[in-house]
Amino acid sequence: MTTTLAPTTAPSAPAAAPDAPTKGRRLPKWPGLGIVFAITFLGGLTFLAIFADYLSFIPYPNEKILGPNGRPGRYDWGPSWTAWFGTDGVSADVFSKCIYGARTSLQVGIFATVFGILVGGGLGMIAGYFRGWVDRVVMIFTDCLLALPALLLAIILVDRLRAQAESGGVLGWIEERWGIAFIVLTLGTLAVAPLARIVRAQTLTLREREFVLAARSLGAKPNRVIFREILPNLIPAILTVAFTGLSVLIAAEGALAFLGLGAEIGTPTWGKLIDENRNKIDEFWWATIFPCLMLFLTVLSFNIIGDRLSRRFDIRQAGV
Amino acid sequence: MSTQIQASARDIDGPLLELEDVTTHFKTPRGVVRAVDGVSFSLDRGKALGIVGESGSGKTILSRSIMGLLPPRGTIRGGSIKFEGREIGNLDRKAMRSVWGKEMAMIFQDPMTSLNPVMKIGRQIAEPLQIHLGMTKQNALATAERLLQDVRIPEAKRRLEQYPHEMSGGMRQRVMIAIALACGPTALFADEPTTALDVTVQAQILDLLGEQRRDRNMSLVLVTHDLGVVAGHTDEIAVMYGGKLVEKASTKGLFANMKMPYTEALLNSIPKLEDRSHTRLNAIAGRPPDLVNPPKGCRFAPRCPYAVDKCVNEEPPLIATAEDPNHLYACWYPVGSEGYHEAKVRIAASKHATDALAATSAAGGN
Amino acid sequence: MAGTGKAHLRDSPDVLLRIEDLVVEFPVGRTGLKVNAVSGISLDVLKGETLGLVGESGCGKSTTGRAIMQLPRPTSGSVQFEGKELTAMQGDAMREARTRMQMIFQDPISSLNPRRKVRQIVMEPLNIWKRGTDAERAKKVDGILEEVGIDPVRAGESQPHQFSGGQCQRISIARSLVLDPSLIICDEPVSALDVSVQAQVLNLLEDLKAEYGLTLIFIAHDLAVVKNISDRVAVMYLGKICEVAPSDMLYEQPAHHYTSVLLNSIPVPDPEVAVTKTAIEGEPPSPVLPPPGCRFNPRCPAAQDICRSEEPQLRAVGEGHFVACHFPTITPVELTSR
Repeated sequence: MTTTLAPTTAPSAPAAAPDAPTKGRRLPKWPGLGIVFAITFLGGLTFLAIFADYLSFIPYPNEKILGPNGRPGRYDWGPSWTAWFGTDGVSADVFSKCIYGARTSLQVGIFATVFGILVGGGLGMIAGYFRGWVDRVVMIFTDCLLALPALLLAIILVDRLRAQAESGGVLGWIEERWGIAFIVLTLGTLAVAPLARIVRAQTLTLREREFVLAARSLGAKPNRVIFREILPNLIPAILTVAFTGLSVLIAAEGALAFLGLGAEIGTPTWGKLIDENRNKIDEFWWATIFPCLMLFLTVLSFNIIGDRLSRRFDIRQAGV
Repeated sequence: MSTQIQASARDIDGPLLELEDVTTHFKTPRGVVRAVDGVSFSLDRGKALGIVGESGSGKTILSRSIMGLLPPRGTIRGGSIKFEGREIGNLDRKAMRSVWGKEMAMIFQDPMTSLNPVMKIGRQIAEPLQIHLGMTKQNALATAERLLQDVRIPEAKRRLEQYPHEMSGGMRQRVMIAIALACGPTALFADEPTTALDVTVQAQILDLLGEQRRDRNMSLVLVTHDLGVVAGHTDEIAVMYGGKLVEKASTKGLFANMKMPYTEALLNSIPKLEDRSHTRLNAIAGRPPDLVNPPKGCRFAPRCPYAVDKCVNEEPPLIATAEDPNHLYACWYPVGSEGYHEAKVRIAASKHATDALAATSAAGGN
Repeated sequence: MAGTGKAHLRDSPDVLLRIEDLVVEFPVGRTGLKVNAVSGISLDVLKGETLGLVGESGCGKSTTGRAIMQLPRPTSGSVQFEGKELTAMQGDAMREARTRMQMIFQDPISSLNPRRKVRQIVMEPLNIWKRGTDAERAKKVDGILEEVGIDPVRAGESQPHQFSGGQCQRISIARSLVLDPSLIICDEPVSALDVSVQAQVLNLLEDLKAEYGLTLIFIAHDLAVVKNISDRVAVMYLGKICEVAPSDMLYEQPAHHYTSVLLNSIPVPDPEVAVTKTAIEGEPPSPVLPPPGCRFNPRCPAAQDICRSEEPQLRAVGEGHFVACHFPTITPVELTSR
C-alpha cells in the first residue's frame, strides 16, 4: 500500500506523530461491554469456585437432589428453582458440578500456564539472549514439541504418567497428593513451545535495543541485564499470550476429560460432565449444554482479556 | 523559479492552496492540545514553501491537516483550506481519496515504515497507477520503471523486482518520491524527508525534489526543523512556533531581513563550518510551550532573550513589514527595531548574556 | 583513499586510547561472505581531547565506537585504553574496564529502558557496582541530573517516554557520567534532534567535558557538528580512514576528495549562496565486496588507474594533517620527524 494514496499507513493517533506534544495513554473512557462482562464473569466464577463449600445455595456435587416424588432419580429436574441447571443422571445438581468443575478447570489452566511461562519463557529468554548453540538446542526442542499433534502428545503423556504412577514411586506420591498434577504437567508442556518461541523472538529484538547495550557497557552481568532490562519489557507480550493460552488450555482440559483422560474419579470437570451426559442431549439437554456454556464463556472471557491486554500494550509501545 | 512558470501560474486563477485561520486541536486526557492555532497563508502553483519549526511547533500537524491525514477521532478542525479554489478542509477521508495522489501527495521522514515490506517495489508503484489512472498492468509497470529513472535510481528495471529492505535509506526515499509522483500531483508535501539520511544523500534528495518540482510545475511543501535545508530549496518560508505562524516571507527576504527573534535564534543554533571549532553555539534555552496551556502573550516570550512585559501579556498580531507587504511577522519588538536594540544593550550590560532566563527577568524588571 | 597506515599515531605520554589495525567483520548469514565493517584502522586519542569520527552510514564509524567498548569484540587488532590492552581482557576485568568508558547512543528513546523510572535508570550503574550508600547514590544522581538540566523529582516519578528527545539525550548523558568515566563515546548523539536542541546538547557536552575532564569520541555524519565539537577529526569511508586532521585545518584545507564532498553536502543556511549541484552521485558500495585499491575510487572525481589497484597509505600533508589518497588536493610533505 502506498502512503500517498492510502493514508491508512499514516499514524493512526496523533501521539505517534513526531510533532505532537507528549500525551498520556489514550484509552477510551468506557472500557467496553466485552471486557466488563469478561471480568465480571471470571471474577464471579472464581469467587463461587473458591467459596463453594461455604455457600448454602450450592449443594455438594455428590449430594442427591430429591425428585418431585420425594426420591432421587435420573434427570429429575430441568432448570428450575430447585436445581438451577437441573440435575443429571445421578441426581446431582448440574450447577454445583459446573462450579466445582470450574475449580478444576481454572486450576489446571492457571497452573499449566504458569508452568509454561516459567519453562517456556525461561528457555526463550536464554535462547534469545545468548544465541549460539543454546539457541539451536532450544529451537530443536521446541520444533519437536510443535511437530507432534498437541492432543495426541497430551494423551500419550497423561497415559504414560498414569502408567508410571501405578507402580508408586515419586509419581504415585504426587498423584495421591494432587489429582490434577499430571494434567497440569501435560498441558503445561504443550504451552512451553509457543511461549518459548514468542519470548525468544521478543528477546532477540530487545537485546539489540540500545538500552541493553548501555547496561552491558555499564558493566552489568548477563543475569542482571536479563532480569532488569529485558524481562520487564517481555511482560506485556507474556501476559497477552498467557491469557489467550489459558483459554486454549482450559478447552484442552475439557477435551482430555471428554476422552476419559481427565482428573481422577471424584473430581467433577466440565469435560467429564459433557462426556457423561452427551448421549441424553435430546431429552435432558441441560446436563450437557450448561457445562458447554461454562466452558465457552470462560474461554471467551480469557480471550477478551488477552485481546484487550495486547491492544493496551500496543498503544503504550507506540507511545514509547 | 523561471519566469515562464510564474506566468503560467497566473493563467490559472488564484493560488493553488489557500489557508484561512486553520486550527487543529486534539482532545486528550490532559485537555485540548492546540497543535495548530489559526494559521493563514496561500501557496502559488509551482512554488516551494518551507515550513520550519522545532518539534511541537505544529508544522507536521499543519501539513497533515491540509492533507486530511489526521485521525477523525478526537480531532477538532476549524478554518478553511481551499485547494484550487475548492474547500477541502471539511472533506471526510472517503472524499479526500480523490484528492490524494492525484492532487496532493506526501512523503515522510522514515521511508522504511511507509513502504510495504513484503511487496516488490514495482508493484507498490504500479498498483496506484492501475487503480487511479486505470492503466493496464503492463503499462503501469513501464510507467513505474520510468518513474524510477526520473528519481535517478540506477538499474530501474532490476529494482522493480526488489523489496524495500534490499535498498538503502536514500534509495527507499527515492522510491517514496516516485510513488508520490506517480499520479502527477499538483502539490507534494515532504515531511522531514531527509532527516533520517546522511548529509550526502540529503543533498541528493533535496536536489531531486527541486528538479522534479520544476519539471512538473508542481508545488512543494517542505516541512523541516533545519533552516539550512530550506534556504536553497524553497521560494518562501513559513516559520511556526507553538502552533502559530510567526513569520512568513520569501526565502531571500527572510534571510536578508529576519524579523522574528525566534527565526534568528533558529538560524543561529546551526553550527557553522566557517566558525572555529569549539565556538559556543547559540542554543535556544528552554523548550517549546505546552500547547494545552499556551502562554497568553507571545508564545515565544518565555524563551525570548528580548522579551519584555508587553510580550508576556499581549499577543502580537501577524503584520507586514514596511518594506515588503508579503513579509509577515508576529513580534512586538522585531529584530532591528528600537525595542530590540534596547533589549540587546541591556543584555550586553548584564553579565549573564548567555543566560536567556536571567536576561528575560532583567528585561522584565525595566 | 581509505588507506591503512599509522603515520598519524602520536607518541605522547598523554595517549588515553590507542587503536591499532582494528578489524571488525560480521558474517553474512551462512553464505561464507562477510561484512567488512572496519578494515584495519588505527587511531589515538589524547587525554582531554575530542576526536571526531565522521562518514556516511556504513562507513564503520559506529562499529569502531562499539569495538572500542568490546561490544562486540573486534575481529582483530589492538585497543589500548589507559595503558591496558582491552582485547585480551576477560570477565570481571573487562566489566570493570568498561566503566571507565561510556557510550551515548543516537536514539535517545531506545537507549533508555521504557519500563523504568528515569531516576532508577541513572542510578543503575551505581547499583551495579554497589558504589556508596543509598544516600550517597541518591545525592550523586540528583546532582548529575540537575547538572544536565533534568528535574530529579520529576525523574523520580516519570518514565522515559514522558520526556522529549532532547531530554532523553540529557538523561543518557547523566547515566554515562555517574561512574566518573574518563572516556565517553558519543555515537551520533544529536543526529535525531532538532537543530535548536542539538545546540543545547552540544553545549552541554562541552561544559561537562570541561568540568569532568572528559575525553570524547564524537561520531556523526554531519561534518559541521563534528567540526564544532572536535579538536581532531578522522574521516572514514567504507571501513577505512581517509583523512585525519585538526578540525579547523580539515575545513580550511581538505586534502581528500571525499572530505570535500562531505563539506559541500552540508546545506548552507543562506539563499544567496548558489546551491551547489549535488556534490556526489550515488551511495557507498556494499561493505561485503568493497572495491579494490582505494575504496573511494568508484565515486572519486580524481580516480586514476593506480587508485583501482593500489591502496593508498596515510601520509602527512601538514602539521598533524594526514591523508590516504594517491592524488590529494594538497601536496604531501616529507616530515623529518613526527
